[in-house]
Amino acid sequence: MFVDIQNLSFQYSKKQQPVIDRFSFTIKKGEIVGIVGASGSGKSTLLRLLAGLEDPTAGSIELDGRLIVGDNTYIEAEKRGVGMVFQNYALFPHLTVSENICFGLHKMKRPEKKKRLNEMLELVQLQEFAKRYPHELSGGQQQRVALARALAPSPSILLMDEPFSNLDTNLKSLIRMEVRDILQKANSTCLFVSHDQADVDAICDRIIYIDCATYIGSDKESIPV
Amino acid sequence: MKTSIWLREIRRRANSWFIITMLGALVIIMPVAYVVLSFFQPTGENWEHIKEFLLADYVKGSVILVGSVGFLSTTIGLVLAWIVAAYEFPLRKQFKWLLIIPLAIPPYIAAYTYSTMTSYTGVIQSLFRNYFDYQFTPGTIEIMSLRGAVFVLTLFLYPYVYMIALNYFEKQSASYIESAKTLGLNGFQMFFRLGLPIARPAIIAGSMLVIFEVLSDYGVASFFGVRTISTAIFQTWFGMYDINAAMRLAAWLLVIILGIFMLERFLRKGRKYDTNVTQSRPLARKKLRGWTAWLAFLSCSIVFFSAFLIPFVQLIYWSLKTYEKVWRADFITLITNSLVAALIGALIISFFAILAARTINLYPSASSNLLARIMTSGYAVPGAVVAIGVLALFITLDEKLAFIYPKLLGVESGSLVLSMSIAMLITGYVIRFMAQGFNSVESGYTKVPPSYREASFLLGRSMTYTFWKVEFPLLRGSILIGFALAFLEIMKELPLTLLLRPFNFDTLATRTYQYAIDERIYEAAPSSLLLICLSILSVIIILRFEEK
Ligand SMILES: Nc1ncnc2c1ncn2[C@@H]1O[C@H](COP(=O)(O)OP(=O)(O)O)[C@@H](O)[C@H]1O
Ligand SMILES: [Mg+2]
Repeated sequence: MFVDIQNLSFQYSKKQQPVIDRFSFTIKKGEIVGIVGASGSGKSTLLRLLAGLEDPTAGSIELDGRLIVGDNTYIEAEKRGVGMVFQNYALFPHLTVSENICFGLHKMKRPEKKKRLNEMLELVQLQEFAKRYPHELSGGQQQRVALARALAPSPSILLMDEPFSNLDTNLKSLIRMEVRDILQKANSTCLFVSHDQADVDAICDRIIYIDCATYIGSDKESIPV
Repeated sequence: MKTSIWLREIRRRANSWFIITMLGALVIIMPVAYVVLSFFQPTGENWEHIKEFLLADYVKGSVILVGSVGFLSTTIGLVLAWIVAAYEFPLRKQFKWLLIIPLAIPPYIAAYTYSTMTSYTGVIQSLFRNYFDYQFTPGTIEIMSLRGAVFVLTLFLYPYVYMIALNYFEKQSASYIESAKTLGLNGFQMFFRLGLPIARPAIIAGSMLVIFEVLSDYGVASFFGVRTISTAIFQTWFGMYDINAAMRLAAWLLVIILGIFMLERFLRKGRKYDTNVTQSRPLARKKLRGWTAWLAFLSCSIVFFSAFLIPFVQLIYWSLKTYEKVWRADFITLITNSLVAALIGALIISFFAILAARTINLYPSASSNLLARIMTSGYAVPGAVVAIGVLALFITLDEKLAFIYPKLLGVESGSLVLSMSIAMLITGYVIRFMAQGFNSVESGYTKVPPSYREASFLLGRSMTYTFWKVEFPLLRGSILIGFALAFLEIMKELPLTLLLRPFNFDTLATRTYQYAIDERIYEAAPSSLLLICLSILSVIIILRFEEK
């Protein structure tokens, strides 16, 4: 399996109930998996655990055959090769669109970097906006920049946390299509989180429903808990 | 949680950023801990003598000074802030920042300036004698003794209350005030029924600052001969050379401060206002007309004239008369010493402030809160107390390190190295003024949501790279404000410098003070003026960047 999560548990503080309790599931390479659950059910937390922004209290995660979290292992977020689109996009306000996209391309040489930047700008259709700052863009454009920035270093998996929640409803359906096209072109494995069924219906190959990360069910495949 | 996972956690967090931060916190807390520990040390005769005959006097002096200055400067600061925030009158915009400028004048400089100006030969009495043929009864207008100290400290410390209260009135109360107007309250009713209760947290915070400044003051009290605990620490140290007795006094001063903190807690208790109602909408100020406009204008003018312009002009006048005599080769050394000490101190403060604010932002938890408390504790600890703690610590360090000095530095065995160096003075500055730098950087971090840092990590960037490329550019203004505040305070600081400076190391502040206690007032003017100009520069930088 490309992503293999086993018995993952997590709680924010000792006083609180576990947000995620012995959660297991797997993703195949190239799959776009959607996670749906009510707000507060632990969707963001699950993504943060995968990304390395929180440390689980128990359990293990394997990514592309490499153990990234286990009892004695902890690979730092910056070494996991995981891409993430944040709910609020987290675009760096003091950098232009191109600078934002190039931020993660430090392993490339200059000509290579330039080529990749152009590919990405083309992918998200923002060629004319390369020199703008995030605050000079619309919500939908910002969202595409965030997507391009996350995809630029070719992450092994892309995590998206409610990427449409800040958009107008009438924009949403259009942008859903765009994102699905972009993801298909980029041919990446993706874990997509939303509380809106319509989002995942439009984008994902497979859907998982969670409630406090005790897995409820999936419409296309069953996964042991 | 399994032990192995626990160990994994520790390994993860124990990066170099974290370790350096903890070292910084340790340096800050050690000297104060040293002073507290002196309670368990045996004391000598001197202490018995002090306790029996002098302590009550010292405490009384401190309490009277703290009480009167605390009350008066809080009142002035609060009323001015209200006038500027709630009303429109001629030159309001200018007064808004002019009323902060007195912060640039160190109170001990104002003390000798005013006491000279109001003396028999001073400009005021001469003026009345020569032009109006009027003779004051001796003792009527002279700024001297206790009332002089109260007058000067009040005039030059009120800006602390003014700044905090103004900020509060402007940000918090727009809707309250507007609804009060519709209820038909008049100006005075609005101030007492509304302004006062709303600004209560600001009043408490501001007057705490004033109280700590008064407790820390040495220059003004000693110039006017008021006996306080701070001046007593100096006397036991420089007069009796009894550092243990001085430590004991310092420890008692800490106890008083602890008491004040508890009082503050008590006053704040159960009075949580909803600070989430941030009113971005500016307050609609009421336009004053006729005599009320004049009254507002006059109140602001009188305070600005007496807390800045009058002493400033007098100092310029004196400087013109004496600068040729004073401007010797070593004047340049004074300036360099002041600048270098303040720059190094402020740089180190900014460095640790960034580290600590970042650690707290990165790992928010109870221990992070403790760290924040430690970083900011210095502002409440009087300069003399910090000085004693640092000195005792450095002497101990010298004793412990004595065996390697001869090999390492080629000095004779038994020489004091650390406690003779400028490192000791800088350490004192860093401890005392860390709060200025830290608070500013910490508030700057509100502009940097954690997701920026996380996004950078996920793009494969290290913690250090992330700091320089993402956090630093967004924090620049706040860091600069913190730096300027620390710089300003270090430049002005007297007691700490007097106690911890290396032999023959003079700064603008110490030289000024030396001239003043030698009654060579005119000669003190040029260095005072320079000091004030440098301070004004820092205040302007601070105001500039706070606007943004
Ligand atoms: N930083 C945090 N500290 C403590 N509790 C948190 C924190 N973040 C989230 N939680 C709690 O964890 C639960 C799951 O949150 P989250 O993963 O954000 O849910 P979702 O993304 O599905 O809305 C919620 O009950 C939330 O209150
Ligand atoms: Mg969420």
